[in-house]
Amino acid sequence: MKLKLIGVSVSMALSSLSATAQDGAAVFKQTCSACHSIGKGKLVGPDLKGVNTKRSEEWIINFVKNAQAFGEKDADAKAMITEYGYPMPNQNVSDADIKAIISYIAENSPAEAVATEAAPATTASAPAAQDPALDPANASDEDILAGMNIFSGKQRLENGGVSCISCHNVNHNDLVAGGLLAKDLTKVYERMGAAGVNGILSAPPFPAMASSYKDNPLTEKEIYQLSAFFNKAASADVYSHQRAYNSNLLIYGGGGAFVVIASIIMLMFIERKRKCVKEDIYKRQIKSACSK
Amino acid sequence: MNVRSQISMVFHLDKCIGCHTCSVACKNIWTDRKGAEYMWWNNVETKPGTGYPTKWEDQDIYQGGWVKNGDTVSLKGAGKLKGLKNIFHNPNMPVLDDYYEPWAYRYQDLFDAPEGNDQPIGRAVSLITGEPMEIQAGPNWDDDLSGTPDYARQDVNFKHLSKAEQEAMFQLEKMTFHYLPRICNHCLNPACVGSCPSGALYKRGEDGVVLINQERCRAWRMCVTACPYKKSYYNWNTGKSEKCVLCYPRLESAQAPACMHSCVGRIRYLGVMLYDADQIQAVASCDESQIVDRHLGIYLDPHDPAVIKAAKINGIADSTIKAAQNSPVYKFVKEWKIALPLHPEFRTLPNLFYVPPLLPAMASVSEDGKYDTVSEHLLTGVEKLRVPIRYLSSLFTAGNDQKVVDVFKRLHAVRVSRRNTTVKDVSESQLNSVMNDAGIDVHMANAIFRLTSLATFEERFVIPAAHREEAIEMLENTGDYKGSTGFGFKEKPARGL
Repeated sequence: MKLKLIGVSVSMALSSLSATAQDGAAVFKQTCSACHSIGKGKLVGPDLKGVNTKRSEEWIINFVKNAQAFGEKDADAKAMITEYGYPMPNQNVSDADIKAIISYIAENSPAEAVATEAAPATTASAPAAQDPALDPANASDEDILAGMNIFSGKQRLENGGVSCISCHNVNHNDLVAGGLLAKDLTKVYERMGAAGVNGILSAPPFPAMASSYKDNPLTEKEIYQLSAFFNKAASADVYSHQRAYNSNLLIYGGGGAFVVIASIIMLMFIERKRKCVKEDIYKRQIKSACSK
Repeated sequence: MNVRSQISMVFHLDKCIGCHTCSVACKNIWTDRKGAEYMWWNNVETKPGTGYPTKWEDQDIYQGGWVKNGDTVSLKGAGKLKGLKNIFHNPNMPVLDDYYEPWAYRYQDLFDAPEGNDQPIGRAVSLITGEPMEIQAGPNWDDDLSGTPDYARQDVNFKHLSKAEQEAMFQLEKMTFHYLPRICNHCLNPACVGSCPSGALYKRGEDGVVLINQERCRAWRMCVTACPYKKSYYNWNTGKSEKCVLCYPRLESAQAPACMHSCVGRIRYLGVMLYDADQIQAVASCDESQIVDRHLGIYLDPHDPAVIKAAKINGIADSTIKAAQNSPVYKFVKEWKIALPLHPEFRTLPNLFYVPPLLPAMASVSEDGKYDTVSEHLLTGVEKLRVPIRYLSSLFTAGNDQKVVDVFKRLHAVRVSRRNTTVKDVSESQLNSVMNDAGIDVHMANAIFRLTSLATFEERFVIPAAHREEAIEMLENTGDYKGSTGFGFKEKPARGL
């Protein structure tokens, strides 16, 4: 009986493995390529060329699934997080998929590169810089404005996705304060560069964002305009007025609400008959010892 | 013309001796119950004084009555927005201490106390808590100007008097006071009815008595705040508000209300008045300077054929119209014009009128040390009265001094006329000038004298048949009960019913 069960589960595991293994390339493109390249230099995250030889399979699985938790246990992972400034978002991919990705990376890592290991870190904008016309830094004012409108939701996304401001904030004089659910994007362009922004927007690696845009992805034009806007926002940030209430929302909002509620309560008590009309008479009366 | 009938009253303040018999009669019948001990549906106040509840006339404190609002009136302390704002409490309500904490004495202790060195006493026990208490106030502790700094000098009506006039009222040989018995005014425009969110208060169609339906009352206590006369009281035991019912069970059997029946000074008169209900809004919202005239003008002449016809169309019984024609109230208020409403500026159009007190008859001490009772000194003119007219006008005419003076001239003329009849020491010219000045003749003076001094019970109280049978027929078909009621049995007879 026991043997039978083990046999079934093994065969299921094998079959699922074989089914997904072929998709290594597809999964990599969908899940990893936004931040990682293979042999094309550092994007948002490190170049994954030869990672299959540098790290054990178990290490990679742990890191991909929950980098932050893993970082607390593993010194290498911690160093990695410290180097990039933020942990890699947790990826909702199965072990089999990760193995498929690793094998895909192994197939595509040129051997000589593994030997020399550290490829010189290319600049962040390197891949995007191929065509200067597509460089967000050179975007026209119209594109920047369009990007802002897309961000703020003033302009609908072509495929019906939710506008960025629902979850993100960008400090900008022309924008209202955005959501606090996800990271502040004011400096995202400085942090991640054109390639990173482009990668995240075309294939969002973060679970919440990924599921939001799974069925209604951004178009290339929208991505370009948003990148242009982020670029502009990052550089214009020093000139924009800081929206301090963003971080102090609780204090200001709570304080404001308290004032409003308190004044409504005060309204009830205003003009109220506050004391007995005989109070002055009672005060003049001589009190006997028996009652206080 | 929308003629309705209204039971109205006149209290003749010159005759009130401040004995509180009316209050006690009322208390024994109606408010000698748990939760009602502090209520005095009838109370007698001394004026100047703060009254009961203390300073009830000050609507800045209690927010009672109506205020003019364009061509209509709105409640001073209630209304939709104010009600919403104060939905969880009723901010301007008098508290128990504004009335007084009722108490009784433990008389039984006087009999049951064991023998000892000390005299047994009956301690005061609160009727609210049941605990021994320190008595701090009573319902009439301002009686006869007692506690003057606390009560009389705090009279709300003094705000219309200068400091010197106020002081004069408390100087020896210039001092004056009178009594002011008060019951519910059963107003034509009752603020209590207008304020009730539950619709528990209503004005009886047949006689205008204002009542609180105890089944519909939901203890909002808006009527307690809204009534500017503070004649609606909250019973903390039953959780319902109560007020003077004008002894309607007695009225329906042609008896005078208990307070009036028991009145020692026979100051009280009760009768029917016919009034035009269509005018109520216009009168209640008229300018304050006109309110007394407009108010008294709403009452119709019951002898006028047009009024009688309109009254019959409205279903007013012939017996009621006849009672209105004989009404002593109609004579005092409309024919003789010597009775005035109390605080007409509250705009509730009260149906209780007061003959203001012509006080006091001023004797002067002659040179030989005896009282000089010669008429020309005793019956000096209105302008030499001790009581400031301004004080009475703030009580009865919303500040119109001339109205009070007119009444006093008539009362004064009646006295001079009677003096002429009985003592015969008034000169013809003096009599004529006084009578002309007051605008009355000897015939009217005698009529006023007769109804004031010699009136019989039937003349003072002209109570129409209540016609309850008609009221019942409006609600039920009496035919349904024919043959089903009659003789009652405590135990069923053996043969069955």
